[in-house]
Parts: sequence; structure tokens; C-alpha cells
Amino acid sequence: MREELTDKILESLKRGDNATLEKIYIDNRVAFINFSKKFGLPEVDALDVYQDAIIAFHENAINGKINSFNSSVSTYLFAIGKFMIFQLLRVDSGIEFDSNMMIEEKNIEFDVNLYDEKLTNKQKVIAKHFKMLGERCKEVLSLFYYQGYTLGEIAVILGYSTKNVLKSSKSRCLKQLKEMINN
Amino acid sequence: MNNIDLIEKYFKKSLNDEEQVLFDNLLKSDQKFKEEFDFQKDLKKVIAVNQRESLKTTLQGFEDKFKKNKVIPMKWLMAAASVILILGLGYIIYQTSFNNSPEKLYADNFEPYRNIIQPVVRGESVDTIEAIAFAAYENGKYYKAINLFNSIEEKEYLKFYEAMCFLKLDKTQEAIDLLLPIATSNTNVEDLRFNFKHKANWYLGLAYLKMGDKNRAISQFSILANYPEDVYKKEKSKLILKKLN
Repeated sequence: MREELTDKILESLKRGDNATLEKIYIDNRVAFINFSKKFGLPEVDALDVYQDAIIAFHENAINGKINSFNSSVSTYLFAIGKFMIFQLLRVDSGIEFDSNMMIEEKNIEFDVNLYDEKLTNKQKVIAKHFKMLGERCKEVLSLFYYQGYTLGEIAVILGYSTKNVLKSSKSRCLKQLKEMINN
Repeated sequence: MNNIDLIEKYFKKSLNDEEQVLFDNLLKSDQKFKEEFDFQKDLKKVIAVNQRESLKTTLQGFEDKFKKNKVIPMKWLMAAASVILILGLGYIIYQTSFNNSPEKLYADNFEPYRNIIQPVVRGESVDTIEAIAFAAYENGKYYKAINLFNSIEEKEYLKFYEAMCFLKLDKTQEAIDLLLPIATSNTNVEDLRFNFKHKANWYLGLAYLKMGDKNRAISQFSILANYPEDVYKKEKSKLILKKLN
């Protein structure tokens, strides 16, 4: 259960290794749902929060926000999840929570920005056309903008001969997306 | 270093101080540069939302797998067993009560009394109105039969058969009105062939069942069931009484 956060785990998550993610999901699920019940959260909501917490955890892992090696996967996950539960309850009931409720997690840094998911109209147009891009383009752009790999790393992952080939490939993808939007 | 590289470095958070100043200046002064940067920033957000959505689908897949593999806890098994038991009992109760419901008893037992007055013989010409009426009765032309029964001289047995027609047509109250005088009559008809008193009790009982009037039905069947001699539908009446109680 208390699996240490290692570089290996972080790297697997960044690479989109589903087996690692599934193990984390299953290992912590029951404990997290029980934990949520203490706050009076119905199971459906608890499950929703849990999945959002996993997504936030995943995002923090690939953004390099998680780099402390003295805590376990579950410590992080529960810290993020607890924050989300409070956020949810605060929105629902207007109750202000005591700041000391967060004390045990104060030495953990994380970024929970999943609540600001509303896309602007401009972004919605981009989203619509992004989905119609070729798989390769989507992959390259996602690895760069989401996973945060450097062009050199992406070239290796996708098997491009040189970084420059990938660089022009990425430029072409951006150009293509812009053309789709403007036409 | 060109401007595109600057933007790329921004996203990799690898701008040095000098590049950062250059970057900030370009953002203020170069409209095209700003547009390109904004576009990529929007794209980054779009991709993040897109990735989260697909990650959510992946997680839901884990969840489905988890639920499928989960060993069902004992308390749920017990709950499931209780539900089945309750449903089963409910079904049995429903079945028994339906089996003994007046409507069901009526449907099971009603059958119009056969024509014993004017048996229609094939090939024989039918000329009297009464004969035509019974022919209509036998052929299931109940409205025609009613009209014809009404157009001839009043006889108890004609009223009885007319009641049969009404029962067949689901006009139960009309049937009851015709059957009651027959069932309560004191005239002693010697010829059993024309004695419809007990038959009227029987059909009256059935008609009350059809109307849902259990008590009146019971009193009619009781007359037959408790009759000192062997009468029409005596045993059947006992059976129905047993089911009604």
C-alpha cells in the first residue's frame, strides 16, 4: 500500500504507462472511498473526486511538481483528494474550513487546477479541430504540451532520426491546425 | 535563436534571464509573436483538457474492472437472498389471491347453459320464432336471440336463456335482473327439464362474482351447497365457497 514514490513510477506515469496507473488506482481506491465517507460524501461523488484526484496526481507527477522522495504515493493522493473534498463541500455548503485541517499535508506541494476547466470560445474552436488532427500530430503535440517532454526526448520516444526532423514535424502540425481553424 | 525557439523554451521553462527579457519585450511589441504565443498557450490548455477527458475514461475502465472482480460481500448476498425471497412470496401470494379472486372464479366457471329446450337438429327446417331464437343462441348470435326471446310469450325458461345471452355479452346487471325472479320463485315446476330455479341460483352466484359482490355470491352458492338433495352444481358450489372463504 505505502508504495514509495520513485523516479521509476514518475517516469512510467509520464510515459502514459497504464499498468502503473491502474495499480495506483486499485491500491488506494477502497481506502480513499472510506476516507471520503467520513466527510459524508456519497459513494458516487467520492468516486468522482477520487478519479479527479488521480488525474491531478498524474498531472502533478508529469509536470515535475512531485519530486519529493520522502512520501508515498498514497500520501500525495490523499492530500490532493482531501483538498478536493474540502473544495467540493465548501462549494456545496458554503462552510469555511479551518485551515489547520490541512496541517498534516503542509509539507507537500501540489497543484490542483482542475476546477478551472472552462474553455474560452477560442479554445473550444481549437479543441474541435485538434480532435480532427492526425494521430501522429496529436501525439507529438500532447507529448510536448502536456507531458512536457523536450523535442529531443520526443524524437527518441517516437523514433525520429533527429531532433530537427521532429521539430519541423511539430511546426507542420501547428500550421495544419491553424489552417483548419481559419478555413 | 528565432522567436519560435523562444516560445518553445518558454513552455520548457528553460528561458534564461536574457531570453526572458527578450521574450517579454516581443510579447509587448510584436503582435504576431503575441498571437503565436497565445495560440500555443490555448493549445496547451486544450490538450490538457483533452488528456484529462481520456484519462477519466481510462480510470472508469479501471473502475469497471474493479467492480467486476470485487468479491460480493456477505451482507449483499444476504440482501439479494432476501429480495428473492420477498419477490417469491409476493408472487405466490399474488397467484393464490388471483386464483381465488371472484373474477377468476367467474371466468373459470361460467359457461352458458346449453340449449335443452329446442335442440337444433341439422337439416330440419326451423319455423317457429322460439326455434329461430334458440338457433341464434346456439350460433352465438346473442343480440338476435335476446330480441327474439323478448318477442314471444313470457316463459320462465325464455327469461333464463335471455339472461345467458346477457352474461355472454358482459351485461351482468341485466342478467341479474332476469335471474333473480327465477331463483326466488316458489312455483313448483314438476318437469325438471323446465325447472330453472337451481340453475338460476348458480348463474346468479356467478353473476355476483363478476360484479365483485362476494357476499351475495356466497348466499347463492350456499343455497346449492346446503341443499338436502342432490341438485345442480352442488359440489361445484361447495368448492367455490371454499375458495371464497
